[in-house]
Amino acid sequence: MIPVRMICIVIAASTFGCVTVKPQERAVLADPVMQFEGDPHAAAQLRHALENREGAYGGSSAVGGGCGCN
Amino acid sequence: MQLSRLVALVGAGIAALVATAAPARAEVVTFDTTHTLFHESPTRTKMTVYTPGADLEVAPTDWLKIRAGWEADVVSGASIAVKAGPAYQNTHPGADVVTAASVHDLRNMARGGFTLKKENVELTGGYAYSTENDYKSNSFNVAARTDTYEHNSQFEISYARNFDRVCDRVQSANDAPARWRALEDSNGCFTKSNPLRTTRDIGVDGFQGTWSQAWTPIFVTQLVYTAQVNSGFQSSPYRSVILGEGLKAQEHEPENRAREALAVRGNLFLKPIKAAARLGVRGYYDTWDVRSLTVEAEFEKYLGESLRVMARGRYYKQSGALFWSDDYTGGDRPLGPKGQYWTGDRELSPFSSWLVGARVMYTAQAKNGRILGIMESFRAGLSGDMLVLSYDEFTLGGQPIGNARAYILGITVSALF
Repeated sequence: MIPVRMICIVIAASTFGCVTVKPQERAVLADPVMQFEGDPHAAAQLRHALENREGAYGGSSAVGGGCGCN
Repeated sequence: MQLSRLVALVGAGIAALVATAAPARAEVVTFDTTHTLFHESPTRTKMTVYTPGADLEVAPTDWLKIRAGWEADVVSGASIAVKAGPAYQNTHPGADVVTAASVHDLRNMARGGFTLKKENVELTGGYAYSTENDYKSNSFNVAARTDTYEHNSQFEISYARNFDRVCDRVQSANDAPARWRALEDSNGCFTKSNPLRTTRDIGVDGFQGTWSQAWTPIFVTQLVYTAQVNSGFQSSPYRSVILGEGLKAQEHEPENRAREALAVRGNLFLKPIKAAARLGVRGYYDTWDVRSLTVEAEFEKYLGESLRVMARGRYYKQSGALFWSDDYTGGDRPLGPKGQYWTGDRELSPFSSWLVGARVMYTAQAKNGRILGIMESFRAGLSGDMLVLSYDEFTLGGQPIGNARAYILGITVSALF
């Protein structure tokens, strides 16, 4: 149920969200500080440390299966 | 045997990268090494984990990237081996009903993957193999990503599948879970040398969808949905829980767990002060009835062209699992038995935590020629964080966890050749 809702929200939001930032206006967006995970390896290691101490998982920018660590 | 297999895997990956890169003329090679040191020393336990990692990525053409890497966890410390709660301790006031055991382990992981790119579409595939004394994992992942609306919108979907195995103690066929005994140590695991060792399977299926959107020249957002299904043995094989008078049983958690997380984050560039402010919120729910909320904030500012500093804060709060109890032997609610499952895992108890930290990052770009004659760019970062945990119910025989804080130190170096 929730995945179907999610898909609908994404489609609806993207329809309204196609505001174009022109190529010549993208200088700031290309800056490292505007990346959500500009240092992915360090972010992954910090996430690994936190997830081993929390019940929650997911919602990060990273691709991967995580682990069934116990 | 396992280590030699891992070394062979990493060696084969690096050889493949070098062989692929050698004949190319315009290849780009990126080398990253990241090191994290984690240390905590709360009541009765302590844990130090050193995590080194190194990754090499080669782009022999503009449509292909190949990468290989290695990471390890060097673990030492002590963890709770037998968990009891306040009700049991009250009836056994002279006895130490909680025990801790020393932990020493080494996890090695080799990983590799590739990305194919054509116009605005990227396809990624990857594999990781990790091994430790009592746990082995084979993980596959695939992802597809596309840019639309003149690169203002990015959509990515990914799927990952783990085939993991964990070492366990052989239990008597006639015993119910309440009579199962915990694994004493990892000696004989994944070999046939110890008839009291067996392996249990864990499967992990993970799906993720991500939508990143540039709304203005200085503001971007990201929406991430994650779903994961874990199936198989998910308890700690080493941990026991006291269930009643003279009844100590291996931790027994459900074999299936479906997990969902939804996160939204925004990143705003503040031109007047040349800084970025990031805010993220994540909600999480799973079928063990663990619910959590995470709020993260980061502020990163340039100090000159090459140096930038970041301060970050994070707050996390979760409810306990449906079958969580600090004492399964009895007592007033929320103590008492919780059905057919039991755990001594503090990660399944209700708690909150907050984290504060800072990072310094230095970046150098080659302007005339190359840095030191070989590098296009160079980046080095140093970070330090403090994590403070506050447990609502988890105790060790009625004694609250004191000094529940952890320190995390990170170093990262990256070079583009």
